Amino acid sequence: MSEHILEIRHLSKTFGTHAVLKDIDFTVDKGDVTSIIGASGSGKSTLLRCINLLETLTTGEILFHGQDVTAGKINPSAYRAKVGMVFQNFNLFSNLTVLGNCMIGQQKVSKIPKEEAKNRALYYLNKVGMAPYINARPDQISGGQKQRVAIARALAMEPEVLLFDEPTSALDPEMVGEVLDVMKSLAKDRMTMLVVTHEMAFARDVSTHVVYMADGVIEEEGKPSKIFSDPESPRTREFLKRILNT
Amino acid sequence: MFAQLFTDIASLWAKYHTMYLTGILNTLILAVVATLIGCVIGFICGILQTIPCGPKDNIVKRVLLKIIRIIIRIYVEVFRGTPMILQAVFIYYGMPYFFGVSFKDIWTVSIIVVSVNTGAYMAESVRGGIMSIDPGQFEGARAIGMNHLQTMLYIVLPQTLRNIMPQIGNNYIINVKDTSVMFIIGFNDFFAVHKMVSGAVFKYFPSAFLEMGGYLILTLVASFLLRKMEKRLAGKSNYELVNTDTLTMSAGTYSYPRDAASPFDETSKDYKGEKA
Repeated sequence: MSEHILEIRHLSKTFGTHAVLKDIDFTVDKGDVTSIIGASGSGKSTLLRCINLLETLTTGEILFHGQDVTAGKINPSAYRAKVGMVFQNFNLFSNLTVLGNCMIGQQKVSKIPKEEAKNRALYYLNKVGMAPYINARPDQISGGQKQRVAIARALAMEPEVLLFDEPTSALDPEMVGEVLDVMKSLAKDRMTMLVVTHEMAFARDVSTHVVYMADGVIEEEGKPSKIFSDPESPRTREFLKRILNT
Repeated sequence: MFAQLFTDIASLWAKYHTMYLTGILNTLILAVVATLIGCVIGFICGILQTIPCGPKDNIVKRVLLKIIRIIIRIYVEVFRGTPMILQAVFIYYGMPYFFGVSFKDIWTVSIIVVSVNTGAYMAESVRGGIMSIDPGQFEGARAIGMNHLQTMLYIVLPQTLRNIMPQIGNNYIINVKDTSVMFIIGFNDFFAVHKMVSGAVFKYFPSAFLEMGGYLILTLVASFLLRKMEKRLAGKSNYELVNTDTLTMSAGTYSYPRDAASPFDETSKDYKGEKA
């Protein structure tokens, strides 16, 4: 039996009177690559931001290894250090170099000595193919390169789960491939990932689990082979038909 | 007619140059020290005002932050909204009434007055600078586990400093000139020298000419140095690619385990580039 890393229970989020997420329930096991798909505005990104506590939940709980992280007993910063996040807009620190971006969290949050932090940063930058660029600043490299650095920065914290919030949506088409290649290699290494994506090929071929969201609820979830070839819900079928035919 | 002017200036300089130079030095020291302290005050106020605080935080924190914000607001409005010359008089002559002691040292009072005045302006500049930072920078920092203080210290403030550098320069140059009002409490700055000298020998215009030149030199040098500093803070416009092999492998700095596969790593079985 595999170990639950994350358990989301009855999670709801409302902005004012607008309910963005309604009673979301699902679990993430070690080594899972879960793709969250759905139309824009269905709450996918908000769900991810709630999981990383960047948004406060309205109700519900998030269990990390069985412990509720919303109860206030666990320091949110310590929890976030173990749950990496990759953003649509990269959010690289513009005052630091590529290397600095990958070292600062290790040094200041995990209190890792400088030399070791540097080695670790170089290791992960090499893994994403960005090691030659360690002296560049974020505004000097391309979007695809930025996103690869952002992935290396998240990996350098050695998180247990990595959350991806539409990592390729802000990229030019020819740069999508290089980022997806990195993500595929992470999946191969059995990195636990939770990916909000519009890349259906990635969801179908790489992920081990697919969650389809519509209007703030999980409409359907299961193995990608099942969801993509024989979806049960008519809404899932409609969504996939629309997105796969364009 | 210019000949007369230059002889007058020359004779003033010959007789009083030590006084003029001491005045310049005092002005310079006061402006530099007060601008630096003012910046520190401004940064502290700016940080305190931008501490995030939501309805979910506990009541003590919320009340405390509210009080801090009100105090800073009053400080900024009072010191930005009254003339510095009056603030100097107010503090210098007001101390005996409030605390029963008076300042013996003109330097201390002058530095306090100019710093506190600069701080009031800087508080708003810093607040604006922090607000101008992309919220993504805060989120990126929080996502790797930084708390608010760490986010501020290592990510937001360095960027804020870079953005408000022109403002700091502005304040410094204003201080170089406006410290001249400190003569009201007897501070011996560059302008006070003019009052003394011209009062003694009645050569108002030649002395003013000298003073104008002196202030311009002070501010022009400051402008030049500030531009240089801005350039340095902006960072290099180029970067050099690092040869991964020599850096990470032969040089022995690369010791992290390499068991995992990567399509970009040529020693990996998943390498996607051209095979050698």
